[in-house]
Amino acid sequence: MSRTLIIFKAVTKNWLRSRSGLFFSIMFPVLLLLVFGAVFGGGGTSTYSLFIQNLDVDGTPTPLSEGFIEALNSTETFAIRTIPGDVTDLRSYARDVLGPLGGNIRVLAISEGFQNDMLNGTLKVRVGISYSTLQTVYEYFEPFLNETERMAMQQGIDQMGQYNASLPDRKASLTLILDASDQSSGIVRSIVMSVANAFNYELMGARNIVNFEEEPFTERQLRTIDFYLPGVISAFIMTNGIIGVTTNTTEFKRRGIIKRLSITPLGKLEWILGNVLSQTLLNLMLTAIIIVVGWLAFNAQAIPDIFSIVFIFIGSVLFSGIGMVLSGLIKDVEAASAIGNAIAFPMMFLSGAYWPVEFMPDYMQTIAKALPLTYFSEGLRSAMIYKYTEGIIINMAIVSVLAAVFIIIGSLVTRWKEK
Amino acid sequence: MAKKVVEVSSLVKQYGDLRAVDGISFELYEGEVFAFLGPNGAGKTTTVEILECIRPLTSGSAKVFGYDVTKREDAKEIKKRIGVLPQDFSALDKLSVKENIDLIGGMYEKKLDTMEVIKLLDVEDKANERFENLSGGLKQRVGVAAALVNDPQLVFLDEPTTGLDPKARREVWSVMENLKKLGKTVFLTSHYMEEAQVLADRIAIINKGKIAVIGSSQDLISEYGGLKVLVVRKGGKEMAKTLQDRFGGTTLNHNGDVFVKADDVNEMWRVLSTLTEMNLTKEIEIQTPTIEDVFLKVVGGRITEEGELT
Repeated sequence: MSRTLIIFKAVTKNWLRSRSGLFFSIMFPVLLLLVFGAVFGGGGTSTYSLFIQNLDVDGTPTPLSEGFIEALNSTETFAIRTIPGDVTDLRSYARDVLGPLGGNIRVLAISEGFQNDMLNGTLKVRVGISYSTLQTVYEYFEPFLNETERMAMQQGIDQMGQYNASLPDRKASLTLILDASDQSSGIVRSIVMSVANAFNYELMGARNIVNFEEEPFTERQLRTIDFYLPGVISAFIMTNGIIGVTTNTTEFKRRGIIKRLSITPLGKLEWILGNVLSQTLLNLMLTAIIIVVGWLAFNAQAIPDIFSIVFIFIGSVLFSGIGMVLSGLIKDVEAASAIGNAIAFPMMFLSGAYWPVEFMPDYMQTIAKALPLTYFSEGLRSAMIYKYTEGIIINMAIVSVLAAVFIIIGSLVTRWKEK
Repeated sequence: MAKKVVEVSSLVKQYGDLRAVDGISFELYEGEVFAFLGPNGAGKTTTVEILECIRPLTSGSAKVFGYDVTKREDAKEIKKRIGVLPQDFSALDKLSVKENIDLIGGMYEKKLDTMEVIKLLDVEDKANERFENLSGGLKQRVGVAAALVNDPQLVFLDEPTTGLDPKARREVWSVMENLKKLGKTVFLTSHYMEEAQVLADRIAIINKGKIAVIGSSQDLISEYGGLKVLVVRKGGKEMAKTLQDRFGGTTLNHNGDVFVKADDVNEMWRVLSTLTEMNLTKEIEIQTPTIEDVFLKVVGGRITEEGELT
């Protein structure tokens, strides 16, 4: 067996038998995927608690207020609970009664007269439309009318205008009380407003003139979890390289293991290659486990192909190379761990592994473009999810060049001889 | 005449202003156990690592088996032929004894059977034990086993017993005695006087990068160790006075022990005869000088357990 394979076998065995190594390399990413999947990308729809006080009651709730609550319910977004009508100070009630129940406080108040105001408002709008339409028609045809016809029409239009003016100009009132610290408040506000608008249009008898259809980007039905899955894999291939290789190699160096091996005929490149192969195996195992967990827990769609496997190999070379550079430059194990973390964690969150780069402010997008993980996660996502050939090739080319650069620097700074 | 295995001439290693090795010259002969004895920072490990081809020299020359340590191709040949137990030897914690020795053995084209080496070092019952679970003494034995796995002609043992308890130290000594029986040439570094004296055929006392003296322990003791001393336990003042009159250099300590220095064997017999005439009933003891006395004489200090010069 070649010396590279012997190093590969020994380093891999040593890692596989290390509980902390296994936890941080495999278990931690799996746990993170489960958390991400459960919070953002699980199979079910998220529901938000919403407390509603309906003051539009005439013995029983009026049909329109009841209909509005049903419309909210039909979105399947809210877990609706009611607040008694005799509560006068909703803010105090929310603070003193709802607050201790836990969770975010979201209260919707339907004011008294909601139905009347809606009907009057609808009538006023409809009469107003008819009035302005007649006026336009009158102005257009006036030159063609005789005096009698003109008088009769003017009289009718005036009467309609007077009737419109006599209708009360009140809008149906809804009050939404949200906690500013509630991160879902934007979503809740949008959904309530959408339902209110839909309700408006329905009462007006308005007809949709813009047809909206949603089609998936790929043939497969992809969900949020499918975005996260390659992100988690790429992020942890990066941390396994930058944190794992750096701390392990520095520890081997501190304990004289590398020095002991350097006294044998083993060459520096054989040592580095053995470690890179070990990282590749670890990363392929990580990918397999993440995909199986994603599939079992969330029915994720990621399918690794030959491109994904090549990508994982090149990524392992790249991030092991960065790890070798760091361990070549840093003597102290604690410092190596701290610096590895200081590089890996910001990169993990700035590179678009967990959310699209487009979500970030412009200056952060500029930073993201300078991070190797951006291209690795994008490429792996293209390979595993989108099957987007151009994305695969461009990102693979960038990652390959970076891998070559870092592995060369890594081999230059790895000391195989004492000073 | 035994074959030269190592030839070092005017070797210098400079770190900035510090001259760690200062123009030393010595040879090692096939089959001998040679010890570098000196305090921490004396230049022992630096010299050994130059010979192991993992540290460059500043000037001078060093050859191992006739190969020049400064030449890349020669270094490869040297590395094939040497076995090394480095200072503070360590191995992969989660691998077993056998797996760690296999790892080192796998680096060589020619190697001994791992189990054979394990048996040689008497650690076969620990062959499948993880390295992290071994005691300090056993770890050093694994280190020696790893040093022997390529069947080397020359074995470097750099501070092999530092930090070990006396029992573990004795265990490692017995391993080193076995190496000698196997006919290996051994280059030992140590700051333990007794270790060097018991194990080495020749000792070089090194301090501040220079070799102070070099030779067999007996030769060094004869030349630098001073006189033998006869001690009469609880001899008392009266006896001290009598002996002082006949033999100069007699002293008395606070316990009443009387110390009489003897220049040679004849002098020692005369002292013993005198004591017989005095109907001696006290316990007597003859103290011979040791390598520690040599060290004290040539370096002017002692080495602590931690290896520091005082």
